[in-house]
Amino acid sequence: MELAYFPGCSLHSSSAIYDVQCKSVLGKLDIALREIADWNCCGATSAAKVNDFLALALPARNLGIADATGLAEIVIPCSSCYSRTLVAKERLAADPALAAEINAEIGAKVTGKIKVSSILEVLLPKVRSGEIAKKVTKRLEGLKPAAYYGCLLTRFPSAVPVPDSVENPQGMETICRALGAEPVEWGFKTDCCGASAAVNDTDQALLLMSLIIKDAVARGANCFVTTCPMCQLNLDAYQEQVRGKHGIRERLPVYLITELLGVALGMSPGELQIDRHLEESVGLLKELRLA
Amino acid sequence: MSAGVLKVGAAQSLAQEVARRSGQNLLACYQCRRCAAGCPVGQESGVTPDRLIRMILLGDEQGALDNLLVWKCLACYTCGTRCPNDIQTARITETLKQMGKKAHLEPLLPKVAAFHGAFVKAAGQAGRFNELVGMGMYETQAALGELKRGGLGAAIAEIAATAKLGQAMMKKKRMHIKYESVKNKGEIKALYRKAER
Repeated sequence: MELAYFPGCSLHSSSAIYDVQCKSVLGKLDIALREIADWNCCGATSAAKVNDFLALALPARNLGIADATGLAEIVIPCSSCYSRTLVAKERLAADPALAAEINAEIGAKVTGKIKVSSILEVLLPKVRSGEIAKKVTKRLEGLKPAAYYGCLLTRFPSAVPVPDSVENPQGMETICRALGAEPVEWGFKTDCCGASAAVNDTDQALLLMSLIIKDAVARGANCFVTTCPMCQLNLDAYQEQVRGKHGIRERLPVYLITELLGVALGMSPGELQIDRHLEESVGLLKELRLA
Repeated sequence: MSAGVLKVGAAQSLAQEVARRSGQNLLACYQCRRCAAGCPVGQESGVTPDRLIRMILLGDEQGALDNLLVWKCLACYTCGTRCPNDIQTARITETLKQMGKKAHLEPLLPKVAAFHGAFVKAAGQAGRFNELVGMGMYETQAALGELKRGGLGAAIAEIAATAKLGQAMMKKKRMHIKYESVKNKGEIKALYRKAER
């Protein structure tokens, strides 16, 4: 199976480990990724705060390029890129005048044919078919992840089809169970980590992250798992500050879904580059004899 | 804050402009405050989404443009997802930021404005967001702002906080020095030009 692939800026820079993991881990599930040509930044959360047209036009250019591949589906692992691209697709479909205005400026026109998928939408059918369970060589016994979805995987600025429960999504838990892990029930799975506020409104973001970490700890989690590179980086890079400021003693590694999947499929932390987290994250896997 | 004084003319034009730009039907708000209950920054902002909508409906333009919620809003979309009338207030804060800029208002949280401005500018120059370039642009503006408002100490503290994170990222080889750009920059520039109209 071949899918079009949009890495976005994060996966080509600070979260390049996620790019490596998507390619290798999905490869093990016989999914080949074809990175779309000459893609551009989707505008992320910033474009919508600065200019409404750009917030739709930037992801629309990528959609046009993706449509031109002729592939049926594009996977976008980054939640922000996924959200902006899916919203652009739906908005352009509902507003032909806007679509024409954008299409006039870009070579590869948006036709709206390609399906825009998150990484969970790609993985879940392979859980349901039993393919993943069959390929697991190391069950993640003892791993108790708090599945953290963040904002942008289930909540959108305008109506789009959401493939999971908005308030209590289960996609990551379903995958974790298939891998032999025991995801915890908790209350902050779709709460906001602060995103770029970690940089520009730091105290606010540290407060939000403290609530997330405290609940995960209270529910007995020994790690987080997420699909969003921004959430991963925030909870990983700022965790030390959050612990200090908000009196948290426990330390929770923040794994990407591809890392748990990769380990369960027999890959080493080195291959997956888990040693490049800011918080030490290989130790727990070793402790549980998963690495 | 009082229930407010209705300024009929101002209320009509303000509500219409916000509704047109944001695509949100503010008039459908019946103040149930589900948005307020879910807002992650409502408490620290002192203004919740329902209050913001009320200010707009009453024609309090100054209050609506110049409050902390507009600048603290994280666009988490919780308010709009829970609104029984589908009013996405995060779209309204996005709109109010743009209207405030047009009116040459000094942003209440200048660093937030500087961040998003730098992000969009950096993404436009290369077609992709290069973290070192974008963060450099942001940090310059943020530190200059801190210098103006809080003096040299504040400016140095601002740079030190970001440098510390940068250093930790470097250690784990999470900072990428490679500069990426789109080949067909003409298309990106054309979209940015159209956006400026």
